[in-house]
Amino acid sequence: MARPTVGAFYNPHLGKALAEATGIDHLAMADPPRADDPWWPRIKERYTLLLHDYLGQLSEPLDERSIQRARSLAALYETPWVAEHFQCLHTEDGRYNINYVFPPLYTEEFLERFVRNASALKARLDQPLVMENIPGFFDVNASQMPEPAWLRRFFEATETGFLLDLPHVWLEAHYRRMKPESWLAEFPLERVVEIHVAGVEEDEDLRGPWISPAEPSDEMLGFAAHAVTRCPGVKAVTFDAFSPGLTADVLCRSVDRIRAAL
Amino acid sequence: VSDRAVQDEVIRALADAPYRASNEWRSRGLAERERLERFARFLARHFYYERVVHFFKYSRALARVTGRRPEAALRPPGFDALFPTMVLGSRATAVAIAQLVTEYVRDGATEQVPYLDDLLRYEKAMMVVEAGPRTWRDSVNGDKGVVRGAWDLPVTVEGTVLLDLAYDLPAVLPKLLQPWTEVPEAPARSARLLVARSAHGRVAVARSSGAVEQVLELADGRRTIEDLAAQTGMAPGQLEDTLRGLVEVGAVRFSTGS
Repeated sequence: MARPTVGAFYNPHLGKALAEATGIDHLAMADPPRADDPWWPRIKERYTLLLHDYLGQLSEPLDERSIQRARSLAALYETPWVAEHFQCLHTEDGRYNINYVFPPLYTEEFLERFVRNASALKARLDQPLVMENIPGFFDVNASQMPEPAWLRRFFEATETGFLLDLPHVWLEAHYRRMKPESWLAEFPLERVVEIHVAGVEEDEDLRGPWISPAEPSDEMLGFAAHAVTRCPGVKAVTFDAFSPGLTADVLCRSVDRIRAAL
Repeated sequence: VSDRAVQDEVIRALADAPYRASNEWRSRGLAERERLERFARFLARHFYYERVVHFFKYSRALARVTGRRPEAALRPPGFDALFPTMVLGSRATAVAIAQLVTEYVRDGATEQVPYLDDLLRYEKAMMVVEAGPRTWRDSVNGDKGVVRGAWDLPVTVEGTVLLDLAYDLPAVLPKLLQPWTEVPEAPARSARLLVARSAHGRVAVARSSGAVEQVLELADGRRTIEDLAAQTGMAPGQLEDTLRGLVEVGAVRFSTGS
């Protein structure tokens, strides 16, 4: 197995540091660069860029405008794959929107919707599509199967790649009072193309840990090292943090520590 | 009930506090109440933190002289007092949150920023205009934009705002986001700005003009373009340009008359 590349997210306020950094192999792009970002040309020239924008929620078909936007960003970044999330965060009529990644019900109907709409998107892209798992803070009593089983069936039906967000798995295990390694083993790891690693911190509103733009703990790094050994096809490991409050020190040190842990 | 409809109920429960407290929702038994409440509180703070950081970015840039970072207003007791009535994305909640932030930042008023009141009104208007339901996906037939027929009637979009300012803020706003040592000055001359939002949620600001104001006042969804031309006295080319500009910023749309 080739060693995965280790990278981070493009953070516009850290343009200079990213343009000059060493030890970062790739950058994931959550938002397009501003037209006046003076560091963008150097960043584009030196990094492999991974498209990781919000393209749309695949519980519904993407409209032509969203598909063209995805194609255009993919071409701009020359991305090796295009990422989207297993999320359903606004109502079908557009009236309610929680503006934060939120998983769909794990049911046959939603499986059929996501398979159909992801397949349609995949057919319109020139690059492979990868899909990222999203954590649930609570169970909805309408789901019909466990998340890992739903994901396995999705990947079998679409032959898309799996972007494994490791803190998401860790959090779900925490709130289920399970060992993270045991919960991870349920997922279709043979489909993993990219892994996200990040820090978690105590959140006052949740009264428990949640994803944070912080350095990963030693425990999370150990979990990442374990996950990489279980994902034979993983090509990239990304420090998953983008926030105006993130510092260059935290970003670079996190990438170094991830690399050392793998 | 489809699974998609059930998902919508859950999303609504997370976004809409009065619905979350209703018997209608509670009787559904779809989620553990206490867990859902905690997650809803987390989402609410996240939702408005993002918006306050974005829309109040100029006040944020001035925090080193006002001592007031706008997002710091999203703390107890003010934020928590609003939580039981919040509906994420609604105009009413946007008004309440923006007011909370405005009052907090205004407490840091200093002679160094004589235009702070104007700035806060501007930022509040941006945040409030952005609120409301939006179109997430284009229809199969696409957006009509400025393409129209004789049966199409221009209508001013609800929520569009005209803002009268004592200072010419557009002249100073870009400077606030650049490095500065002395607080950038705003010219003390009045300005009238149009703040509008596209159906997809993009907020735009433009300098207003007499022509713009006339069209906004008359475009009620009942008058035709010919009516507007007759009542404003504009030449067809000027009216066409004005309407095109207003449609582009989201201040006017065309409705199809019966």
